[in-house]
Amino acid sequence: MGSVSVEDIDVDFLALIYDIIKCVERENTESAQSKRSEFQESSQKIQEFHRKLDVTRDQIRKLPGIDYSKEDQIKKLEALRKQLVLKKKLLQKYKDMCALEGVKQYLNPSNAN
Amino acid sequence: MTTPRGISTKEKLLSIVDDVETIVKELLETTIAQKQDKLSESDQSQIMQLLLRKNDELKSTLNLASEQQEIDQKMLQLGSEVYKHDQDIQMLQKHLKEADTLLSTALFQAKQKLDQIQKAQTHQVGSEDLIRFAHRISSTNAVAAPATWAPGDPRRPYPTDIEMRMGFLARINDMPISQVLDSMPPIMSRGGDQLYPNFTQQPWYSTSSEMSSSVSSLFANIPEPTVRGNANHDDVEVMSTDSSSSSSSDSQ
Repeated sequence: MGSVSVEDIDVDFLALIYDIIKCVERENTESAQSKRSEFQESSQKIQEFHRKLDVTRDQIRKLPGIDYSKEDQIKKLEALRKQLVLKKKLLQKYKDMCALEGVKQYLNPSNAN
Repeated sequence: MTTPRGISTKEKLLSIVDDVETIVKELLETTIAQKQDKLSESDQSQIMQLLLRKNDELKSTLNLASEQQEIDQKMLQLGSEVYKHDQDIQMLQKHLKEADTLLSTALFQAKQKLDQIQKAQTHQVGSEDLIRFAHRISSTNAVAAPATWAPGDPRRPYPTDIEMRMGFLARINDMPISQVLDSMPPIMSRGGDQLYPNFTQQPWYSTSSEMSSSVSSLFANIPEPTVRGNANHDDVEVMSTDSSSSSSSDSQ
């Protein structure tokens, strides 16, 4: 499943809606001959509108990172940050407590030389 | 615009799209409808306003989704960092556990060594004494016959025939039974320790002086080896190995 960004989603429905309404109104006023062609055009545009709605729904479903509300997401982000800080502290504690040179080398391979 | 609590942004976007679809359907129905069924101008304009509002809402919610995508990226980075730290911590814990096992084993062995050193220091035995007694044992063929032993050779492990004849068991036939019975307990209780030292009761490492005395008493009856030249010296060396092998076989 390819990831979708917000920029990929086309939500410009108003122009299409305007076209549909115009077609339907013309359909009501025109003669019987032209009514048929207007009807075909309007039904085509309505189908196009439905297709566009379905595509938009699909794209929204594929959008990553919107499974939570923003508040919940920020809470999760903070929880992750706290977790990271705690893990860093724990690692530092381990580093400080070990007196073996071999373990120190394992922890800081760059400082070994 | 804030998202209501508990509703995800995805659900919010999908519901707005559904709303747009419903509004457009309503709008088309009222456009197609006959004049008497048509909604009033104000209602139509309200529907249009609603459609415009929903359109704005959709765009603002999409902006929110864009922000949330950025937050999601940060969360992914943080998650991978947390995972990496987790791996480091697990690796460290594994190494520390291994070090702990190794150190505790080494500590235990070192304590055992210390105990042995302490024991050796408190019960010191002179190496010269040990060598002297070992020499006495091996040089007199007391434990094993010499390697070159043949019938008729007087050298052999104790006791020899002459020594057996000189002993208590050889004289027992010449004594009356009452005398034998009378003489046995004092020998066993009094002189037993002196004549035949009890190997099981006396610890070999008791003290240096004790050991010297006990070993001296043990080998009191063994004659001092007489130096008979190099040939005898060779025998002594052979006997040393023999004695060790025989004593080990005895102990089994």
